[in-house]
Amino acid sequence: MNGLQFFRLLAGVNARILRRHILAVREKSFLMVSVITLFVVGYWFAGYSVFFTGFRRLADVPGLQMILVDRMLYLFFAFLFLMLMFSNMIIGYSTLFKSQETQWMLTLPVRSLDVFRWKLMETTLLASWAFLFLSAPLMAAYGNARHVSGVFYLKVFLLFIPFTVIPAAIGSIAILIVTRYLHRHVFKWALFGVSVVGIICAIFFLKPMQAEDLEKAQIVASLHQLLHTSRVTVQPILPSYWVASSMIAWGDGGSGRGIFFFLVLLSNAMMATLVSVTISRHLYYEGWSRNHSQGHFQLGVPLLDAPISLPHTALTERLVNLWPRMHHATRALVIKDIRVFWRDTSQWSQFVIFFGLLGLYVLNLRSVAYDRNMELWASFVSFLNLGASSMTLATLTTRFVFPQFSLEGKRLWMIGMVPYGLKRVLLEKFWLSSVCTAAITLVLMLTSSWMLRIPGWLTLLFASTVVVMSFALCGIAVGIGALFPNFSSGSTANRRDDNPAKIVSGFGGTFCFILSLAYIVVVIGAEVAPMYASFAVSGFTERGQPWGLVFSWIFVALLSLAATSIPMSLALKKVESLEI
Amino acid sequence: MIQTEHLTKRYGGLVAVNDLTLDIPQGQFFAFLGPNGAGKTTTIKLLAGLLKPTSGRALIGGYDIQKNPVEARKILSYVPDMPFLYDKLEPMEFMLFVGQLYGMDRVDVVRASDELFDVFGLNDTRRQMIENLSHGTRQRLVIASALLHQPKVIIIDEPMVGLDPRSARVVKNVLKERSRDGVTVFLSTHVLHIAEELADQVGILNRGKLIAVGTIDELRVVSGEKGELEDAFLALTRGEEAAAQLP
Repeated sequence: MNGLQFFRLLAGVNARILRRHILAVREKSFLMVSVITLFVVGYWFAGYSVFFTGFRRLADVPGLQMILVDRMLYLFFAFLFLMLMFSNMIIGYSTLFKSQETQWMLTLPVRSLDVFRWKLMETTLLASWAFLFLSAPLMAAYGNARHVSGVFYLKVFLLFIPFTVIPAAIGSIAILIVTRYLHRHVFKWALFGVSVVGIICAIFFLKPMQAEDLEKAQIVASLHQLLHTSRVTVQPILPSYWVASSMIAWGDGGSGRGIFFFLVLLSNAMMATLVSVTISRHLYYEGWSRNHSQGHFQLGVPLLDAPISLPHTALTERLVNLWPRMHHATRALVIKDIRVFWRDTSQWSQFVIFFGLLGLYVLNLRSVAYDRNMELWASFVSFLNLGASSMTLATLTTRFVFPQFSLEGKRLWMIGMVPYGLKRVLLEKFWLSSVCTAAITLVLMLTSSWMLRIPGWLTLLFASTVVVMSFALCGIAVGIGALFPNFSSGSTANRRDDNPAKIVSGFGGTFCFILSLAYIVVVIGAEVAPMYASFAVSGFTERGQPWGLVFSWIFVALLSLAATSIPMSLALKKVESLEI
Repeated sequence: MIQTEHLTKRYGGLVAVNDLTLDIPQGQFFAFLGPNGAGKTTTIKLLAGLLKPTSGRALIGGYDIQKNPVEARKILSYVPDMPFLYDKLEPMEFMLFVGQLYGMDRVDVVRASDELFDVFGLNDTRRQMIENLSHGTRQRLVIASALLHQPKVIIIDEPMVGLDPRSARVVKNVLKERSRDGVTVFLSTHVLHIAEELADQVGILNRGKLIAVGTIDELRVVSGEKGELEDAFLALTRGEEAAAQLP
C-alpha cells in the first residue's frame, strides 16, 4: 500500500468518526450544548466588539493612523506563531510517540514515514484549530476596520494554511531531535531549566514602557517608543511578518505584494515540511523505539546515579511531614497526588507553560504602574488585576483540580476500599489543592500589587480576597468534579489513556468553569460597588471612607463559605453512596 | 518462519532480552512463557518491529523486520496485550478499514469478515459502536481483524485475558486450526495450561534469557519434573543452570 492510499483510507475513517462525534452532540445534555453555544457566540461577539473598538481608537491617533493597527497585527502573529510552535510540540509528542493508534499503525504494512506524515497532519490540525477559532473575531474586526470585501476573508483563510504548517513542521523537527537524542528524564529537567532561564532572561531583557513615560503624557512619543520596542516583530525573516504583510497588503488593495508574501509563506511551509519529513526518515522510527526503550537514566557517575530517585521521595515526604498531626491516610494520599502530578508529563508541562504566561503578565504590569495622582485609575487597575488573578485561579482550578477525582478512575476502588473511605479522599484533594492554589495566588497577588504600587490596605484586602477565593474555587472544582465525574475519558477499560484535558472538556468541566466565573463576577462586583460608591460621593479624584469595603468583604467571605461548603457537602454525600 | 539471531535489547543498564536465538518453522504453534518482567513483551515488540534491537536481528518469513518492515508486516499479524480500536466505528467498518489497509478487495473483506464474525460470535454486534462493546467482545474483534488478511505469522500477547470460557475456547480452536493450516503462531501467555493444550514447542524466558525450549515432554525431562507443565516451569525458572542441559 502506498502513502496516498493509506492517507485516503485514514481520511475516510476519520471523516466518519468526526461525523459520528458531531451527531453524538444530539445525545448530550441540552443545557451543556446551550451553554457552550452561548459561550462561543458570546466570545465572538465580545471579541469582535473589543477588537473593532480598539482598532478604531488606534486609527484615530494623530500622525500614526493605521501604523499602530498594522503593528498590532505583526505583534499578534508573532505571538501566535510562538504559541503554535509550543502547542505543536506538546501535541506532536503525544500523537507521534505516545498514542496507542500510532503504535498500532507502526505494525501495519506501511512505511513509518507515512505514519509520520499522517500524524504530522493530525498534529497540525489539533494544535492550530483553537488558535484560528480564537483569532477569528480579530480578523473580522480588522477587515471591517479596513472596509474590505468578502474575498479578503477567503484570502486570509488561505494564508492561514501555510502559516500553521510552518510552526507544525518546526515543532515536529524539534520533537524528532529531542526524542531521538535526549533521554526523557534529561528532557524533563532541561525543559524546566530552559523555562526558568527564559523567565529570568525575560525579567532582565524585556523592557516594557515605564510608568514615568506615561506620566509625562507624551502620548505620541510613548507610542513611538512602543513601535520601537516591538520592532522585532517586523523582521522580514519571520513567518509572522509574511502573513501580516500579506494581510495588510490585501487589506489595502495591493494584491501584488499580498500574493508575493503569500508565495513566500507557501514556499517556506513546503520547505519546512520537506525538511521535517526528510529528517523523519532517519529519526522517527529510531526516536519512537528509543522513547519506548528507556529505562532508568544513569549519568555514569556512581555518586550521582545512586540516589537519583531518592531525593524526590525524601523531599516530597519531608515537605508533607512539615504539616503537623496529619492523618497517616491523608499523608499517603497527599504524597501520592504530588508524585503522580510531577511524573505526569501532560500535567506539569502545561503547568510550566501556564506559569510562564503568568510570569509575562506580571512582568508587563510594570507598564501600568500605579499613578498616585489618579485615584480612580489606580483603583481601576487594581481591580483589573484582582479580576485577572481570579480568572487565572479559576482556569487553574478547572484545568488541574476538577479532573483529580475522575483521574482516579478505575483505581478509585482501591482507595475507596481502605477503611477511611472516599470522604477522606475528597477532603484531601480539597485541602491539598486549596493550600497549593492559595499559596500560588497569594504570591501572584502580592507581587502584582507591589509592581502596581497598590497601597498597603488595598493589598491586604486583595490578598485576603484571593485566599478566600482559592478555597471557594477549589471547593467548587473538587465538589463538581465528584458530582459530575468523567471516568470514561480517564479509564483504561475502553483502552483510552488518562487525559485530564479530555475530562475537563466534558459537561462537568464546562459547568465548573462557568460556576467559577459566576462566583468571581459576584465577588468582584461586591468589592467594586462600595469603592465606586465612595468615589461618587467624594468626587472622582478622592476616595471617601472605605467602610463599605469592610461590609463587602464580609459578604464575600460568607459567599465564599457557601461556594465552598455547598458543592463539597453535596459531593461528600454523593461519594458515601457511590458505586465503584 | 520466525527467526531471531542473537537478539538483544537493553533498557539503559537492564538487559531485557539477552542474546535470544530462535528458529520457529512454518505451521508451528510456539508458546512463549516466562515470569513477570522476563522480557516476553519486549521480545514480541522486537519481532513486530516496534522496537529496535540493541544487537542481533529478527526475521519474519525471511524478511529482516528492521530492513524490510513493510514486506515482513504483510505476512504478519500482531495482537498486543492492549489492542487499539476506533471507538466510533462499527465492527464491520473496522474490519473493512483493516482489510483495505492490507490491500484487500472490499468484496473479499466482507466475505472474510462474515466468516470470522460467525466463528467468533460477533454477528449480534454488527450494528453497535465499538465503544459499547464489552472487553471480551472487543478482544474477539481484534483477533478476528488480525486473521482477516490470512497472515502467515501470528504474534499474539496474552489473548485470553478477559475472555469467557466459550470465547476462550473459540480463540484456542481458531489459532490451533490456523497453525495446522501452516500459519506460525507465536503466543505469549502466563496461563500454562493453554501452552500445554496447544503448543507444539514451548520457550521459557527468564530475566531476558531463553532458559529452555522444546516440546512439553522435553521440558519435563530437562526440569526433572514428571507432572504438569507448571512443575517443569517452576523448576526451570528457579535457576538458569538448566539452560546448559537443554537438547
